[in-house]
Amino acid sequence: MNQARKKKLSHTIEFLGFTMPAAFAILLFVGIPFLMCIFYSFRKWNGIQRASTFIGFQNYVRAFTDDPTFGQSIRYTLIYALFTVIFINIIALVLSVVLEQSDAFGKGFFRAAFYIPNIISLIIIGFTWKFIFSRAFEAMQESTGAAMFGWSWLGQPKLAVFSTVLVTVWQALGFYMLIYIAGLQSVPEDVIEAATIDGAGRVRRFFSVIFPLIIPSVTVCTFYSIANSLKMFELIFTLTGGGPGTATTSVALDIYNTAFNSNQYGYGSSKSVILFAMVAVITILQVTVFKKKEIEA
Amino acid sequence: MKKTKTASAATFLLLLVVLACYLSPLLIMVFGSFKSYSEIMSQVLDVPQRFSLDNFRNVFTSMNYPKSLWNTLLVTTIGVAGIVVISSLAGYKLSRVKTRYSYILFLFCIMPMMIPFQSFMITLVKLAKQLGLLGNLYGLGVIYWGLGAPLSIFLYHGFVKGIPHELEECAMLDGCSSLRMFISVIFPMLRPVTASVVVVNAMWIWNDFLLPLLTISNNDSIKTLQLAAYGFMGQYKMEWQNIMAGAIMIIIPALIVYLIFQKNIVKGMVAGAVKG
Repeated sequence: MNQARKKKLSHTIEFLGFTMPAAFAILLFVGIPFLMCIFYSFRKWNGIQRASTFIGFQNYVRAFTDDPTFGQSIRYTLIYALFTVIFINIIALVLSVVLEQSDAFGKGFFRAAFYIPNIISLIIIGFTWKFIFSRAFEAMQESTGAAMFGWSWLGQPKLAVFSTVLVTVWQALGFYMLIYIAGLQSVPEDVIEAATIDGAGRVRRFFSVIFPLIIPSVTVCTFYSIANSLKMFELIFTLTGGGPGTATTSVALDIYNTAFNSNQYGYGSSKSVILFAMVAVITILQVTVFKKKEIEA
Repeated sequence: MKKTKTASAATFLLLLVVLACYLSPLLIMVFGSFKSYSEIMSQVLDVPQRFSLDNFRNVFTSMNYPKSLWNTLLVTTIGVAGIVVISSLAGYKLSRVKTRYSYILFLFCIMPMMIPFQSFMITLVKLAKQLGLLGNLYGLGVIYWGLGAPLSIFLYHGFVKGIPHELEECAMLDGCSSLRMFISVIFPMLRPVTASVVVVNAMWIWNDFLLPLLTISNNDSIKTLQLAAYGFMGQYKMEWQNIMAGAIMIIIPALIVYLIFQKNIVKGMVAGAVKG
């Protein structure tokens, strides 16, 4: 009996020894800060003093009723996410399908080349495109005379929103292509062959055979593009700084400004919790809807 | 489907044109980095008249490049090494022990993948300050352990499922302690997934900007490349030729790593994405 108990104890200790370092790191750097955020979201706290006072739901009420910047940032983030997700997925899928037609060398080469913007940090992407939108477009207008290069891509609110979408799609495309290409490669040859023998043309083959089979990839890509675009910060930080005005201020950027520029830590915490809820609700909805459409090959 | 040669050549050409347009902003950046101030302002799109390295020389000193590069390497190494150690240990054990508690702990470990960093950054900074992790590179590296572990544990957990138990039983019979066995038998077998974990986390930490901004930007003597880039690009305002040169110097280390480990990166990114 004693022997068995000893053995069980040693197993438990071993289990804890293996798992606790990671569990502790996650608890310390994610779990506790996240719980603290929820705690402080109900309090008034300037982040400098230790003391904070409980104010119930006032922060949340204020965020939704008395903060035009935050309302604007939610609107912007949703529009930005919607267009980013649509463009990224359509363009990445189309390019991947075209890529599938080329030989092995071409596939490897293009896949690697399209991925290059993805290895560059968003900070640098932001600065580079600031230059493209201002100086390079000006020069293009001079040489081509096309009016679109003369538009104020970062200065006119609606256009600036589109510009942030454009740059995000440009930067992230290669990553989503990787996933779509992997998905397309997993479609069994014989299914496609059977469809061809049955007389399905190329377009028909894609929509009736291939597309239903790669829905798992679509689920993953949509999930990632939604999650990433809802929390976009760095690109906007350097490309537009949230402007003109607050036209391209994302929720993440607004949280940053609220906490670290205006020292409203409690209020910023409540916005953080709202961001979490937003991402959680939208992604869970998306995954549930898409999972239902998945079929087995 | 057999395609005719001309059709696939046409696709190739079409893709080449698309790719050329797609990467043209980067080409403009490379050209810009060699130009003088007056040249970049007057002939934005042209090939530079001469390939002068003056801008790179300027930036090298004003960004304190060797120091920043070293700092970034240090943070990335500390972060990635720690993530690999704690995640492989935990992922392995959580996959092997099939009890309710083990499953609950597994869920706890991977749940943070659903929490956006911006949702807890405010309090993370406060907590890190109290723990004395603010303002130094080691602290920054250590914080990455907690942020990177969830996805990595998930990847290890999935991979270990595919490894047969027999090996461990043999090693046990030989009188190996479980830690010894993990180090000498299990860990070497995890190599493919370790490669993915290293690549995914290294690319992320290397390019990360927000966490360094929040934790070490108060201390001017330590900067990562991304922080240095931000500070220096703000300081140069409209001197685009220097900004372009700086951008290239920051991209090059990542580009070299990417070209060497291209295959692993592709595999790692797809693994991280599809399983995540």
